[in-house]
Amino acid sequence: MPVYEYKDLLLNIIEQDSEYFGYFEAAKEHKLVVKKCLDCDLLRGEPGASCPWCSSMRSEWHEVSGKGTIYSYQIIPHAILPGFRDWTPYPVVLVELDEQSGKPLEHDGLRITANLLDENMNPEHEENVAIGKRVNVVFQDMENGLTLPQFTLSDEEPAGAIWRYPNT
Amino acid sequence: MESALKDKYSIVGIGETDYTRGSGRSTRALAIEAIRNAVTDAGLKMQDIDGMLSYHGGDSVNSSTLAYDMGAQLNFYMDCSGGGSSTEALIGLAIGAIEAGMCETVAIFRSMNGYSQVRIGGTGSRASTPVSGPGLMTRPYGLASAVQSFAFSFTRHMMEYGVTSEDLARVKVAHSNHASNNPKALMKQRVTVDDVVNSRWIVRPCAHLLDCCLETDNATCIIVTSAERAKDLKQQPVYIRAVQGRGTKPGGDFHYQHGPISRVAGHYVGPRIFDLADLSHDDIDVTGCYDAFTYTVVLQFEAYGFCKEGEGKDYIKSGIVNLGDKRPNNTSGGHLCEAYTHGMNMVIENTRQLRGIVDDYCPDWQNGNHTYDYSEGGCRQVRNVNTTMNMGWASPATGSALILRR
Repeated sequence: MPVYEYKDLLLNIIEQDSEYFGYFEAAKEHKLVVKKCLDCDLLRGEPGASCPWCSSMRSEWHEVSGKGTIYSYQIIPHAILPGFRDWTPYPVVLVELDEQSGKPLEHDGLRITANLLDENMNPEHEENVAIGKRVNVVFQDMENGLTLPQFTLSDEEPAGAIWRYPNT
Repeated sequence: MESALKDKYSIVGIGETDYTRGSGRSTRALAIEAIRNAVTDAGLKMQDIDGMLSYHGGDSVNSSTLAYDMGAQLNFYMDCSGGGSSTEALIGLAIGAIEAGMCETVAIFRSMNGYSQVRIGGTGSRASTPVSGPGLMTRPYGLASAVQSFAFSFTRHMMEYGVTSEDLARVKVAHSNHASNNPKALMKQRVTVDDVVNSRWIVRPCAHLLDCCLETDNATCIIVTSAERAKDLKQQPVYIRAVQGRGTKPGGDFHYQHGPISRVAGHYVGPRIFDLADLSHDDIDVTGCYDAFTYTVVLQFEAYGFCKEGEGKDYIKSGIVNLGDKRPNNTSGGHLCEAYTHGMNMVIENTRQLRGIVDDYCPDWQNGNHTYDYSEGGCRQVRNVNTTMNMGWASPATGSALILRR
């Protein structure tokens, strides 16, 4: 069944949607994957249809550690999607994975969007959300068979300074 | 490289409907009214329009439908998928179509019941559409609206450069002051920094309600033809000095894989438009900087080089963007206060500024007589406007620019 209901959304995850199908298939096995170019071996955070570095169309899904750092964040107190209203305020984070950080160019990284969840798979309290904090992937399994990769705060100390907007 | 078509084409007609929340009619009816107003403004007839360009997000009407209402036979038309930054790009495409001999006079329009029918961000009927493609990587995480899709860039920029809510609020304050002198503006009330930072949060930490533009029902139209032909028309021609875009950052929609994510497309569009125009920042008298959110203004002034990266907040705070100062921005009130039109109203406003007949509250504005008193309910005509610049925004990754002169 390729159409999954989740929070009043209909997610149409079909095999022909070839850039994204494998990402969600791997998630079902609790693996976080990115695309790896079979010609230049570079990984890419957006799966895409070809390698942005060497233009090869040959790629495979490559499992990564699921460890990373919050690169940016937002807290959504006003959900415009009706299914998210009981989750507000919820954090959405842009996570930079540990693999291939700062490569091949200085500002490059494998960056994945997800929610930051607590140990009960509820939205993390916003005072705990900050750029620079360490996170781990977790997998949110739904009864309908859908699994979403998500992130949770790690016990690891941040490598550098952390930042969140003061007084929010 | 300087453009070979510099000043060879003109904006000869501009028009819009009322800006409302609840038009009570179709985007077809709205479009026709805006086109009719622009045609009348230019001193043309509907049948003189032989080229049309529009942009939409599946929420508008096709040019070929309007051709019936206009009694027109079109030699060229395209209805393009697109949002912000399309206005400037389509002005460039209009020049291309005329230059290629495909048509003579192009009406560019945008028609949207942006409040009462299709709201940006996909509430209402769009919410039930199955999600596929790239949306699978964001929408299940509760990202849907424009500001949500831009917020990672905004938040990161706040961290890098110490931007505060108050810095952003000053953009809204400036534009609201300008809107108070615009009878057409949907929100004419002047606001304070406190009003903005005390309005409810939409996305923390980068957008309160009053940092966001006004969803509006409206249509707008801009008519482009050759400078040669413009000489015989009703209005003082406004010359298209140069146009550039839509251009993207490296990585396009997935620019955040590359970074710096707080840098926006104007970084790439800017040097090209100034080269094409053979002008510099000092030549620009008035700017129209796409204000979908207060933050888009801050980022674009930086990206286009009106100030250094990180100093957008200081550029705003200096007051330079206010009416009466050196280089006013969004003198109509822009998207934050006049109406959200996907960029059209800022080009229309700059055209009026260049003509010297801005429709403010001055008793004799129609004859170009202005008081230059910028207090509330007064004038919004800038003195001695020779050159204007528009900076269109679709996302952090996509933008376009336009320089006009009299």
